Amino acid sequence: MKTHKLTFTLSFIFCLAARAELKWEQTSVELRPAIGDKQAIGHFKYQNAGKTPIHFKSVQASCGCTAAQSQKDQVGPGEKGEITATFNIGDRTGTQVKTVTVETDEAANQKTVLTLKAIIPQELEISPNFVFWKQGEKPAPKTIAVHAGKDFSVKHIKVTSSSPDFQTKVEETGAGQFKVDVQPNETSRLLASTLTIQSENSPKTFYATARITNAPNAPVAPALQKAPGAAPAAPTAPARPPAPTGQTH
Amino acid sequence: MKLSLPRQALILAALSLLPGVGQAIYFRDKISWQSPIPPSEMVSVDRAREWGDSTVWIDARPDDQFARDHVPGAILLNEDRWNELLPQFLAVWSPGKKIVVYCSSQSCDLAREVAERLRKEAQLPDVFVLEGGWEAWLKKNR
Repeated sequence: MKTHKLTFTLSFIFCLAARAELKWEQTSVELRPAIGDKQAIGHFKYQNAGKTPIHFKSVQASCGCTAAQSQKDQVGPGEKGEITATFNIGDRTGTQVKTVTVETDEAANQKTVLTLKAIIPQELEISPNFVFWKQGEKPAPKTIAVHAGKDFSVKHIKVTSSSPDFQTKVEETGAGQFKVDVQPNETSRLLASTLTIQSENSPKTFYATARITNAPNAPVAPALQKAPGAAPAAPTAPARPPAPTGQTH
Repeated sequence: MKLSLPRQALILAALSLLPGVGQAIYFRDKISWQSPIPPSEMVSVDRAREWGDSTVWIDARPDDQFARDHVPGAILLNEDRWNELLPQFLAVWSPGKKIVVYCSSQSCDLAREVAERLRKEAQLPDVFVLEGGWEAWLKKNR
């Protein structure tokens, strides 16, 4: 009996002792950036609890949207430090999970995966953000549903069309819920409009696209590639100069 | 209390599973980098080429990688500038087109995320992720 207990205890201690000498304060970080934040930065602190120096062989992020940086290449016994993971939010929404793989020269545990979870607030959720009519189709209205994201209170939204060829009508369907009816004046020509959706007291702008498309498999116009930082544009140039038309509810 | 050797082994195995279970509960909402893409949403380079002109290629990589090189005719659409780039892509899409999204390799999740947003937010049909990504296309075409 005593032998069994000893075996159990020793196995357990051995399992714990076999872990990395580099002790991490935490290997997972959850961040909640504010609206408008461009980056979310996670700090992963560590300490070398062993008796020999540890060298970082590589620190690699799972995607190009995250940059990971180590303060030093070598960590002496007892030394502390941190790995910084900078996640560029861009136009991402919802819950984003990115990882950073840290490789060291430790014998027991060479690779550690650090996890950065960013919960990006979404003030308005738009579904769908694209409505289209085939050329020649009846120009009946199509609906875009807009509702306030979790933890947001939205009483009014304003919808503006970049092209006078499309009309919009906003209707409140519930608390923080709206329906936007979009209707083209005609569908005989290829037309497009960017719909700008804004809630009151918020600088953030949301977009949807309305378009009269080609018939299936017909040739289409070449893509427009613009310089970084340029504002969203209507997919194709309106036939007439754009005179914004909008409606607020 | 007398514990047999197999029971001790079982307890040790159960203890080793605890961190994994804890992580699964903590990240129950989404583990994007671990979510497998269903085979029906993937397409090989050969198959995508067979579709010919009915394919719209989307490059989900960052701007600088797209600028260096990309599939001929591919449209840049990444989440860094989603609001700006999406209307440009929608300008060339038409019903009946098949959308093939790629990023730097199959392990990269950018293509999967862009494909998911196209299906969910723009409600577009026939959106596929390229098997093996940009590297697979390069291998077959250069």
